[in-house]
Amino acid sequence: MDNEPADHSMSPRKSWPVVFWLSGFLGEAEREAVLGDLIESAESGGRAIANVLGLVVRRRMALLLDLRLWLALAFVVLPVSYLLCAIAQTTAGEGAVYSWMYLNNWDWALTRYPGFWYVLRETAVNFAITSLALACWSWSAGFLIGRFPNAVLQPSRNTFVVLLAASFLGDVPARFTQFWMYLHGLPLRPLPEMNAPITANVFYRVFFPWLVLAILVIWPAFAGIRQGNRSLLFGRKMRVVLATAPTISLLILLTQVPGFGLLLCAAFREWLWRNRYAAQVLPLLCCWPMCYLTAIIFGRYQQRKTAKANVNLVKEVKGEHQCSKL
Amino acid sequence: MIGEFEYLILSSAARLGTHAYGASIRSEIEQATGRRCSIGALYTTLDRLEAKGFVKTWMGEPTRERGGRSKRLVQVTATGVKEAGDFFRAISRISKGASWTTNRPTTR
Repeated sequence: MDNEPADHSMSPRKSWPVVFWLSGFLGEAEREAVLGDLIESAESGGRAIANVLGLVVRRRMALLLDLRLWLALAFVVLPVSYLLCAIAQTTAGEGAVYSWMYLNNWDWALTRYPGFWYVLRETAVNFAITSLALACWSWSAGFLIGRFPNAVLQPSRNTFVVLLAASFLGDVPARFTQFWMYLHGLPLRPLPEMNAPITANVFYRVFFPWLVLAILVIWPAFAGIRQGNRSLLFGRKMRVVLATAPTISLLILLTQVPGFGLLLCAAFREWLWRNRYAAQVLPLLCCWPMCYLTAIIFGRYQQRKTAKANVNLVKEVKGEHQCSKL
Repeated sequence: MIGEFEYLILSSAARLGTHAYGASIRSEIEQATGRRCSIGALYTTLDRLEAKGFVKTWMGEPTRERGGRSKRLVQVTATGVKEAGDFFRAISRISKGASWTTNRPTTR
């Protein structure tokens, strides 16, 4: 119970947009109940703001003390955002090089050579596979986050986006590599700028990487969060399968980060080298979201078909009933 | 044992019966104590009571007087009734002989 200041100075017309905005930080059902209570008790503007703000602050404080949030951030959100940022930067770099090569330096004379078309096709296929894999990993990461309890879901999602953007902006993967090299006493020599003509272009230096992050990471991750949250409605066995699939997929993502091999012991590195073809096939497993989404779409189609058939059956039965009456 | 504010919520919810929800409980507490009751305190305590199994809450139908918004309806459970009863008995026992119950002047 609180003794609040009697603040009637702010008119409801001015304060209600603030109240609505503040209530956006609450859960959907709670927002509904709180706004209804405020309307019913005809609360003054300032007091309505103080009430909603008080509840929002209490909820946030309670969340900060929730161990599940810290576990989710430490073991899923932080490592996954770092890995996705590293892969997105590599993909954006590759994409920028290929785009610059083909779009900014297009030469019609080259189209006469079959070799040009061969290389173009190979490049396009490789980039498409890399992009698809990145989108699938992002979707898997989102799917895993979407399966968090509701209280933890929203802050985890927001932190995921903020960490991704911050890592991208601060070039965290490159800095982390430098730090790792420093720790292991490796010489820190600046790498020669191989792609200077490309990075000189503002589009490829600034906009292109952010486009890659938005289209291949953030958008699929949000779609994955939605699907992950819906998947909680499935049966127990299915839920276990759907928790395992993104976890394996994200473990495979770990093997794709540049410099990962340096973290392994020599024997395992040798084993990987001997079985490098198997290692190349491994990333294909990350494409499980494609199978999942296909199954979901097919399931919905079947449901609609059954519903339609049932409606037709009811109509037929009704028609027969009317005929027999006549 | 429950706290004082928890007892106030349980008592007002029990008194209001089927009409127990956020705004009505708040109004009851304010009238009984003569002090303001914040929505933040009310809803977080309701959550705590629900987690302990002393109340059951659910969302009702939207109503016109609430701008088409739903109520969070509250019902005291059997465990809640027992806890509130225990609290009341403890308060009654401890208050026996105190100056404010016997109308004796307070001594220092």
